[in-house]
Amino acid sequence: MVPITYYLLLAAALFCMGMFGVLVRTNALVVFMCVELMLNAVNLTFLAFARMHGNSVGHVSAFFVIAVAAAEAAIGLAIVIAVFRSRGSVNVDDIRTMKH
Amino acid sequence: MDGSLVEFFRTAPIPPEVFSPSLGLIILLPLLGAFVCGVFGKWLGRANVHLVACSAIAGAFVLSLLAFWATSDAAGGRVVSMVNPFGLERDTIRYAIAHDYGTWFAAGDFRVNFGLLVDHLSGILLLIITGVGFLIHLYSTSYMEHDDGYWRFFAYLNLFVAAMLTLVMADNLVLLFVGWEGVGMASYLLIGFWYTDSAKAWAGRKAFVTNRIGDFAFLIATFLLILTVGAFNRQADARDYNAAGSSRARYEQGISQRGPVTFKGLEKMALALPEGTGGAVSLATPIESGPLAGYTFGGVMTAALLLFLLGAAGKSAQLPLYVWLPDAMAGPTPVSALIHAATMVTAGVYLFCRMSSLLVLSPTAMATIAIVGALTSLLAALIAFAQDDIKKVLAYSTVSQLGIMFMGVGMGVFWAAAMHLMTHAFFKACLFLGAGSVMHGNGDETDIKKLGGLWKEMKWTHATFLISTLAITGIFPFMSGFFSKDAIFHGVHHNHLHGLEWVSTFVYVMGLLITASTAFYMSRVYLLTFTGKRSKEAKLAHAHESAWHMTLPLVILAFLAFVTFVYALPLMPRTGGGMQPVFENFLSPVLRPAEAVARAAETVHLDTSTPAVGDYFFAWLVALSGGAAAAFAYLKFFPSRVGQPVPAFARAVRRTAVNKFYVDELYEFIIIRPVKFTAFILFRVVDALVIDTVLVRGTAYVTEKVGLGLRRLQTGDAQAYAAIMALAILGGAVYALLQVLS
Repeated sequence: MVPITYYLLLAAALFCMGMFGVLVRTNALVVFMCVELMLNAVNLTFLAFARMHGNSVGHVSAFFVIAVAAAEAAIGLAIVIAVFRSRGSVNVDDIRTMKH
Repeated sequence: MDGSLVEFFRTAPIPPEVFSPSLGLIILLPLLGAFVCGVFGKWLGRANVHLVACSAIAGAFVLSLLAFWATSDAAGGRVVSMVNPFGLERDTIRYAIAHDYGTWFAAGDFRVNFGLLVDHLSGILLLIITGVGFLIHLYSTSYMEHDDGYWRFFAYLNLFVAAMLTLVMADNLVLLFVGWEGVGMASYLLIGFWYTDSAKAWAGRKAFVTNRIGDFAFLIATFLLILTVGAFNRQADARDYNAAGSSRARYEQGISQRGPVTFKGLEKMALALPEGTGGAVSLATPIESGPLAGYTFGGVMTAALLLFLLGAAGKSAQLPLYVWLPDAMAGPTPVSALIHAATMVTAGVYLFCRMSSLLVLSPTAMATIAIVGALTSLLAALIAFAQDDIKKVLAYSTVSQLGIMFMGVGMGVFWAAAMHLMTHAFFKACLFLGAGSVMHGNGDETDIKKLGGLWKEMKWTHATFLISTLAITGIFPFMSGFFSKDAIFHGVHHNHLHGLEWVSTFVYVMGLLITASTAFYMSRVYLLTFTGKRSKEAKLAHAHESAWHMTLPLVILAFLAFVTFVYALPLMPRTGGGMQPVFENFLSPVLRPAEAVARAAETVHLDTSTPAVGDYFFAWLVALSGGAAAAFAYLKFFPSRVGQPVPAFARAVRRTAVNKFYVDELYEFIIIRPVKFTAFILFRVVDALVIDTVLVRGTAYVTEKVGLGLRRLQTGDAQAYAAIMALAILGGAVYALLQVLS
């Protein structure tokens, strides 16, 4: 059996990659995909622990995260499309109207 | 008298034990009347409001009569009596009925019950309040016939009667205070009844604020008594309770069931406090624990009684708080008759009669009361010399007569003070209603210089005014006022406060001066208003006599003012030989504890002699001299000098008296101005600067500036926000890691 450490290290690596993408990429669609990556890194952690403890609490949490991620993707993509229609761009650096 | 007739009067129509649970109805009826008139009066119409208001008082009068009858019930030789809740089983209260409606409120071991008590003292007052009150309601139906606020007027009047009945029937100080405040409020509402006239509205405010000072003192005094009762209960031993005809178990039971400030409980404490009881507690014993630790029982009692004096001075218009009463004449005249002459202003006298057993423990407090009464009385009488407004003269006369009652209370002649309270209610109400009738028939003219010669045009008003004037002055001796006043002055002369013997003489001499002054100013009012020729400055060429609604109460009150003198005649046997006045005999069940305390404590020597014929003759001469002086001045001296300047002496006297000895100006200078100045400073510094500027506007200013600075951080760059969040989470994770590792 693969030790849990490997799962956790893989999840941490995925999470850091996702976060890096969120912070530095400018295309909103790519930012979205990076957010999904972070969520799935968390899912991986949950499942790893669930397997270690031999119960299904982690599975439950993972399903919740998947549901939330689906909702987030639906609404987020709708927003991205709406923004693209009104501005002709999905570059996050250009969307800065919410400021003082 | 026929035996069966005696038996008839001794048997109450409704037996006391059946009637006593209905005592609350006496208060409830006028309260209901006030509610109906106040809420629905506008829709009911004038005649219905008259019906409701008058019948509520008439109903209360009938119930009061039944209650009064029940307190004198002695059917089959068995006197009505009840067990004293604070005494032993065999210790009964005779000639009284009571009903306890249960706890009103309780906090910790302190409680107040809604308990009503009617004995001979409160019974008399019940009859005065509802009886005179009914006559004045009847009178008002005619007097207020042109006023649009009739429903408001009758609602207030009924409310007043309800509050006053609560005051006299309360069996404890707190419930009495409810009535005390209630009458104050009703008085305020009625003085400022014509509130669109700002002078009248101010008069109402002046009365209210002045009364408030007194009420504050009343409350503090009540708190002192509560603490004293607690201390007494902790320190007293069996001999103390024994001297009061009680035991520790019974007394504590009484306090836990009825509360510490019932009059019967206070009476028991007063009986236990004199030195002679040999118990652990006496007047000189220091209080051991509690907030009053270190002070003696006697000292606390004196302080409490002096505070009660201040409270009573507010309500009963004595020095230094009498200034509101003359201004209170701004209200409608029936109000002046009912509230500011017959009933409310006598509340202070009633309070001291009710607490007579405590009062006789402190000669200092008694002397203060007597001296305050004497000074007030003389000052008010002198001011009344030169007032031209007929109602103002009567107002100062009321202050003066109340001062006489205070002299009586202060020197321990409680029965005479209570009797003067009763006779004064009759003749002063009659005088005020007579003045109202004069105003009604003369186009609201109140200046006696512009009246005159009314005896031909207003026959009934004239006759009743004359009888009442004779009663108040004592110029014709066989009138109630002569006898009640003389009873007070006789008692004042012969009672002695131990250690303060000079007070008797001082107060007695003042009393003689007051008698002469009263005769002078009342004769002056009568002569200028009713005799002589009609003044050329009169508003109407001919006065008209008032309707029967107004004259009938006058006739009844004048009749009562005449006949009640029989109560002062020594017709009843005294225990221990001799005869005593009817009224003293009548009140003896109420005042016996005070006599017992005075005897045991040796603080007051209460004289029981009755005036001899020579004493009466002397008093008559004094009154006659005042009346004769007025007759000389206003029938002979001034009329013969028409067109000539008034002598300088008379002018100087008049100027001071007209200006009321500058008391209002003095108060303006030493109290109102400094208070106004302090208020101004507080307004400018505390309110305008600290609260408005620093706290209110300062908070807004700081919030705004901080917000302006912080909004620079809001760049709109979502990734920058995300970076900050990530760094924060990283920081948190590092911290958690360090915590785990260390």
